[in-house]
Amino acid sequence: MKKNPTLLFFLFAAALLFSGQPSFAATTTVCIECHGDLPGDLGEVPVAEWQTSVHARYQTSCHDCHGGDPTDYAMAMTAERGFIGVPEYEDIPAFCGRCHVGVEEDYRESLHGQVLAFGGPNCATCHDNHAVQVATIDLINEDSCSRCHSYERPALIKEEISATETMLSQLETSIAALYRVGIDTSRLEDELFATRNDFRRLFHSVDIDKIRAQTAQFHSDLEQTKAAVAELEDTMGQRKLAGGALVLLLLLGGCIGLLIRRSYHDQE
Amino acid sequence: MNLAKETVDWLDRRLGVRELLHSNLGGYLLPRNVNIWYTMGSVLLALFGLQFLTGLLLLVYYVPDTEKAFASVTAIMNEVPYGWLIRYLHVVGSNLIIVFILLHMLSVLFMGSYKRPRELTWLSGFILLNVGLVFCLTGYLLPWSQLSFWATTVATDAAGAIPVIGDQLVAFMRGGATVNEATLGRFFALHVMGLPLVFFGLVGFHLFCVRRIGISKPPFGDDYLPTEVPRSFHHEEHPGGIPFHPNYTVKDLSMVFFALALLVGVTFFAPWLFIPPDALEPADPFNTPQDIKPEWYFLWAYQTLKIFPSELLGLASQGVAMGFLAMLPFFDRGLERRPSKRPLFVTLYLLGILLFFGLSLWGHYS
Amino acid sequence: MSEIPATSTERRTFLGLLLGGIGAIAAGALGWSVFRFLSPIDRGNEDSQVRIARSLVAVGGAHFFAFQGRPAVVVQPAAGEFIALSAVCTHLGCIIKWQNDSQDFLCPCHAGRFSPSGQVLSGPPPSALDSYTVTLDGDDLLIG
Repeated sequence: MKKNPTLLFFLFAAALLFSGQPSFAATTTVCIECHGDLPGDLGEVPVAEWQTSVHARYQTSCHDCHGGDPTDYAMAMTAERGFIGVPEYEDIPAFCGRCHVGVEEDYRESLHGQVLAFGGPNCATCHDNHAVQVATIDLINEDSCSRCHSYERPALIKEEISATETMLSQLETSIAALYRVGIDTSRLEDELFATRNDFRRLFHSVDIDKIRAQTAQFHSDLEQTKAAVAELEDTMGQRKLAGGALVLLLLLGGCIGLLIRRSYHDQE
Repeated sequence: MNLAKETVDWLDRRLGVRELLHSNLGGYLLPRNVNIWYTMGSVLLALFGLQFLTGLLLLVYYVPDTEKAFASVTAIMNEVPYGWLIRYLHVVGSNLIIVFILLHMLSVLFMGSYKRPRELTWLSGFILLNVGLVFCLTGYLLPWSQLSFWATTVATDAAGAIPVIGDQLVAFMRGGATVNEATLGRFFALHVMGLPLVFFGLVGFHLFCVRRIGISKPPFGDDYLPTEVPRSFHHEEHPGGIPFHPNYTVKDLSMVFFALALLVGVTFFAPWLFIPPDALEPADPFNTPQDIKPEWYFLWAYQTLKIFPSELLGLASQGVAMGFLAMLPFFDRGLERRPSKRPLFVTLYLLGILLFFGLSLWGHYS
Repeated sequence: MSEIPATSTERRTFLGLLLGGIGAIAAGALGWSVFRFLSPIDRGNEDSQVRIARSLVAVGGAHFFAFQGRPAVVVQPAAGEFIALSAVCTHLGCIIKWQNDSQDFLCPCHAGRFSPSGQVLSGPPPSALDSYTVTLDGDDLLIG
């Protein structure tokens, strides 16, 4: 084959195509590099649990809770790099509360928080530690609560908050669907996030009277978000209607074109 | 009516437009057995026109700056009236163009229309497909989303497998060691200025070839017989054929309507087919998304690179495959165009299509 | 009449008109979208007020600012008396300048002159400058 410039072009075009091995693998911290290979409770167990957690999903890694230096093997677990290690049972609320500030506050005022020193529940009692998942209303269940006390009161609280929780999760689903089709939902998400956080910290007080008194306010906040979501959904519905009409019109045009083409057949 | 006639008269006296129109419309005769696949060119021209229009409109609001690009696209989608429509038409349109180019190519292959004396028509068409793909690749980067950033990173990275010059080539394409604002600048310039100029030139040349040599007769029916290609230039005539206008243009038009119906349908009801979730997140150079996959038309190439033991071999095999297709009419010099008389070619043709689909599906699900 | 089948020419004319109509509707829909796409975006802040610190406007001085997307100016001809005006000359649209010495506005394009209250003093401007209401709010001026 003679030399030709087009071949060069194709090589260049081929060079633009995708390769199989992205050279940017996700970075692992030195924590996981060592502990991931260790057996037991200070090694593969917590690392594997963490990998299934909501923390892993949002890239909250070992050092974000336990401190230390995730980039330096030698200094990783030194106090001067802020290493904390395993917190004592009673220190866990403060440990988690560095990020989950509001929830810690309401928990501390609750009966749960007040009996912490006497072996009362801390965060991990209900939420687990390394394998922590997105919190749902199902964390309040008979098996879990009756480890310490009767399920009577938790059941009442669950009933009280379930309507609001359902509304929250429905709105989350609706907003996610709108986001998927290109709607800028950042304002709605922020609104819902704020309301949800306030509501979730409220029921950590495990005080049914307090929850009853404030639920109405949450409902009206959520109604506002719901109205905004409904308006957007309405717009999407109208777009689909207009799009459907346009598609039918164009199909009709195509068919008429074919009919005109047929009318020429007898002359050909 | 009279005004129209007088205008044409005026133009006719100066440019001889009546003769020009007659010889290209009513007096331009197509083979009697011309089929539906001959409308693909018109459909593509209509889609190119729409792509040019929507691209021009997007340019009004798009800001080619790494800090502002994503926000400007978000504003087009949410604040500018009908911005979502213009952008989705552009996105879906680009994908449909690749689909129709492939259909056009496959029909030309099946009917053997690429054969001499139409080598240049084929070659310019094949280069147009590649320019179309580079259009897609450069356009992909512009919204500066996670998908934009990482797809471009991975795509440009592949060139690093070329010996000796690989690394320099990667840096040259990116305008730096990694994908950065310089990459956005050059891809933007290519996408909105460089490529359109090349593309329009090539489309013009392609159409010129089609018209100059004459349209090929579909190799079907009892009266079709392969004819010897004359040694000197010869325009293929089809005496007693169908007038191009209005008899066949109306068919072109109806196919354009159907293609637009498909475009509008996908635009309104399933634009997310071409907008993966990573395209909704702004680019983050420090966080690679999981399972990043190329667009459907690059999946075959992606999978090819994965199954070869070395990237260089994969790249070379792609180069050979593409080069072979481009040069096909120069190898395949037989006169026979009837598929029924070309069992080997048809077998290879079907295997090729299967290979394309197989590799794409494999790439998608692996 | 109705029993005679239409000729293919008649049928063609009818179908052609129909097709033209459909094409026109589709083109109209696209045209309308493009027109709206290119029209100025209504951000819904057309009647919003502008807040300016009172200290920015000296007695006998002027302060230029943007109001509803156009240049505007606020002057304080006498202590405590504030006047807000459009800064666009009514002649050909140049932006007027405040003359500290003569305590009036001069348009640099064709030497139109306006009083501090916006009235035409001399030159080609056909009408007075638009004025906006000014409300005092503590240390700030609310305009609009």
